[in-house]
Amino acid sequence: MNLRRQLLLVSLLTLVLPWAGCQFIRETESALREGQQQMLSGTAQAIADSLAQFPDQFDVARRGKTADDPENQLYGHPLTSAPLIDGYFDDWTLSENALTPLPGANQATRFVVGVHRQAVFLYVDVHDDDVVYSMPVGTGAIEAGVDGHAGDAVELITIDEVPGDAGSVAAVVAYAFAAEAPGRLIPRRRTARETVEETRVSAHWQDTANGYRLEARVPRQLLGTRLGLVVADADTPESPATRISSFDGEVPERLVTRSPLLQSVAAGYVQPDVRLIVVDNAGWRLAQAEDLSSSGGGDPPGIASGWMRVAYNALLESGNEAELAEPDPSGREQQDYIRRALDGQPAKAWFRSIRSGRAVVAVAHPVWSGNVQTGAVVLQQGTDAILSLTNRALARLMNVTLIATLLVAAALLGYASWLSLRIRRLSSAAERALDDKRVQPDLPSARAADEIGDLSRSFSSVLRQLGEYNEYLRTLASKLSHEMRTPLTIVSSSLENLEHEPLTQESARYTARAKDGAARLHKILSAMSEASKVEELIENAAPETFDLHAALESTVAAYADAWPERSFSLVAGDSSVPLHGSPELIIQMLDKLVDNAVGFSAAGDEILIHLTSKSHEVVLSVTNPGPPLPERMRSQLFDSMVSLRANETGKHLGLGLFIARLVAIGHGGSIRAFDVDGGVTFEVHLPTGM
Amino acid sequence: MTKRIAIVEDEAAIRENYAAAFRREGYAVDLYEARQPAMDAFASRLPDLVVIDVNLRDEVEGGFELCRELRSRAADLAIIFLTARDSEFDAVSGLRLGADDYLTKDISIPHLMARVAALFRRMEAMQKPQGKTSRMTRGDLELDVDRMTVRWRDQSVGLTLTEFWIVHSLARYPGHVRNRQQLMDAAQAVLDDNTITSHIKRIRRKFLAIDPGFDAVETVYGMGYRWLAK
Repeated sequence: MNLRRQLLLVSLLTLVLPWAGCQFIRETESALREGQQQMLSGTAQAIADSLAQFPDQFDVARRGKTADDPENQLYGHPLTSAPLIDGYFDDWTLSENALTPLPGANQATRFVVGVHRQAVFLYVDVHDDDVVYSMPVGTGAIEAGVDGHAGDAVELITIDEVPGDAGSVAAVVAYAFAAEAPGRLIPRRRTARETVEETRVSAHWQDTANGYRLEARVPRQLLGTRLGLVVADADTPESPATRISSFDGEVPERLVTRSPLLQSVAAGYVQPDVRLIVVDNAGWRLAQAEDLSSSGGGDPPGIASGWMRVAYNALLESGNEAELAEPDPSGREQQDYIRRALDGQPAKAWFRSIRSGRAVVAVAHPVWSGNVQTGAVVLQQGTDAILSLTNRALARLMNVTLIATLLVAAALLGYASWLSLRIRRLSSAAERALDDKRVQPDLPSARAADEIGDLSRSFSSVLRQLGEYNEYLRTLASKLSHEMRTPLTIVSSSLENLEHEPLTQESARYTARAKDGAARLHKILSAMSEASKVEELIENAAPETFDLHAALESTVAAYADAWPERSFSLVAGDSSVPLHGSPELIIQMLDKLVDNAVGFSAAGDEILIHLTSKSHEVVLSVTNPGPPLPERMRSQLFDSMVSLRANETGKHLGLGLFIARLVAIGHGGSIRAFDVDGGVTFEVHLPTGM
Repeated sequence: MTKRIAIVEDEAAIRENYAAAFRREGYAVDLYEARQPAMDAFASRLPDLVVIDVNLRDEVEGGFELCRELRSRAADLAIIFLTARDSEFDAVSGLRLGADDYLTKDISIPHLMARVAALFRRMEAMQKPQGKTSRMTRGDLELDVDRMTVRWRDQSVGLTLTEFWIVHSLARYPGHVRNRQQLMDAAQAVLDDNTITSHIKRIRRKFLAIDPGFDAVETVYGMGYRWLAK
């Protein structure tokens, strides 16, 4: 993995920024929620306090000492318009869910009670396999059914009250709806004393596939505060009917209706996006006001595109709230937090609106009238304000951190490119410095104050030392030969003088041997200084243009004389190869290469000298059969005093290839050696123009 | 008359060895180990030949300095450099200062004796009237074998002893290739290939200075050189 990729990976760390920002926004959001909840609690308490001055609007006050069993109570749903009395439910302004099953009925008999202005409406959907109509009035059947009436019937049970004492029982009154035939019917008002037709009540009976439906309208003044429902089911006109009642006991419980006073008070407190519900002690809804429609549905403001919504949901709304329950269609609020409030504790809960998907905070606060808890106030508020705030923050955060991340990534990428460029320059310069045989210790970034500068400087210092060492090696031979020449002259001149002295035969032999050794030393010394001579010649060479091919022809002929046990062949593409340079030096270089080739080949081998002329350069190669180049010293092949020859006389100094390279480089060319099939080739490239 | 040779050499062993060899040949020898004593002695009397080492004690180029001073005093004094310094640059410098020969210490004593004898012979021949000497003519080339002088198209070419011997060896049999060993033997010296190459170059340059069209010395690659007769 290169430096740029590494730094790009590091730049991913900037993604921590949006994460931290989200954490902050989440904190902010929860703080805002907390604040909103507290504010809502305060509002709820204020409303509760103001409602406490209307204890009589709550049932508990009206009920007096006897507590109603809410299970036996009926709830008068507020209707916004009066339904037609036609036996159909569809013109009621209520949902089907408002239909309450009649307790105790083994079949799905459902009913609902509605209140519109001064009229009470009743709708009953009775499941009855066998609808039995009652006998017409005046027939004996009425007399037969003393306790009730023959046939199926629905009865509304109420009471006459003792004047001045609401709720007290003076007499039980029943309005019986029994049909002789489907259609409109007139109920009968039955008391302990009499049974009369009540024409102020209108009703409509309609048969259904599995029973019948009854819809009725009763003026409010005909009913007392209490109301109960009884469904009588007769199997035959003669047999007594089975009575199923909405209440236990003889007397029904109080009918719960909306309190217009509380409603108007509550409506005054409603703010946008707030729903206010006032319930009595049993949870019956006494007032409800809301303004949730203002921003209901649709997307929360500020969330424009899909990915923002996804990000928002993923980051902010944890989504673990319960679904927001709409006001209970039965009219009685049974949710936990409301129950807790009815137990006297202020309660709160978070919900999620199904319609908009947004969080809703709900608080419930008990209403105390004196020491008596009369009910509770429930406030629900959406979190649109928070939502839009956090949305804007989130959107800004996303944009800013996205830009920041891109900037950081771009900056790091650029920085990494710059760094790696410097490092690559340094490394290629270091390689080049080693490639050239004269070490060049000057490297890029040498003046930089950073670590790359340090690296460059230490490279330079290492290269400088290497260069000094190489220089030392290079000049070692000529220095050595120079220093040894004087003592050797002493030896040889002494020996020569000695020859003129009278010597015994024995001494003369030793002298001759000593002279022989001195002569050999002389040869070695001249070989050692040859390299510096060649360098001198190259420096002073007066280059001329000559025909290399012609020169090679005579030279190769001379080689055949010099090494009769080898055969030499010259292969040249062109008959004339003009070259600008020093012919003596190039022939000398060839001498060294051929000498090397002879040294590594065996008697009878053919040494091939190949000359090719290209547009800008001449390639001269010498190939000999023999062992391949050793791996070990391949790179030092052309260095001074490196010899691979296992010469039995031990006289080889390893300067030949060094000189060959000096000549090649001196002519602006290059030399290399490589293995060929069963042999070794030395190849010299020389530019045609020097 | 006994020839007097002065040797200025800081290495005592070499000095004494050469002195012994010269004395054996019948020369009178004076020995000096530094420039100043030699100059002091030469102030009163000049020898016939001075053999100088370039390196003299602490003076790295004291020999050159000595040569310059002597040459300014006596134009016809024979001066030979005998030194361990074998670089082309030093040889050219020494000869340019007016030395008659520049020899490296590789030279054997017999070779050295032959050279010194040849040098004295030439000096003697120079003093004889011209015309009585033995001459060799090859086209435009005219060699005076006794005086060891060369003329090309009637102009004198200033060659050193070594160079004269090489030209002499080549021109004696024009068209015959002389290999390096033969040239070395002719020049009475043990020279390496590169030194021969340098000498040939210097010879060509000297002829070219007189005649820009000179091409009588031909290189036969891998073998040697030959004189081309027109």
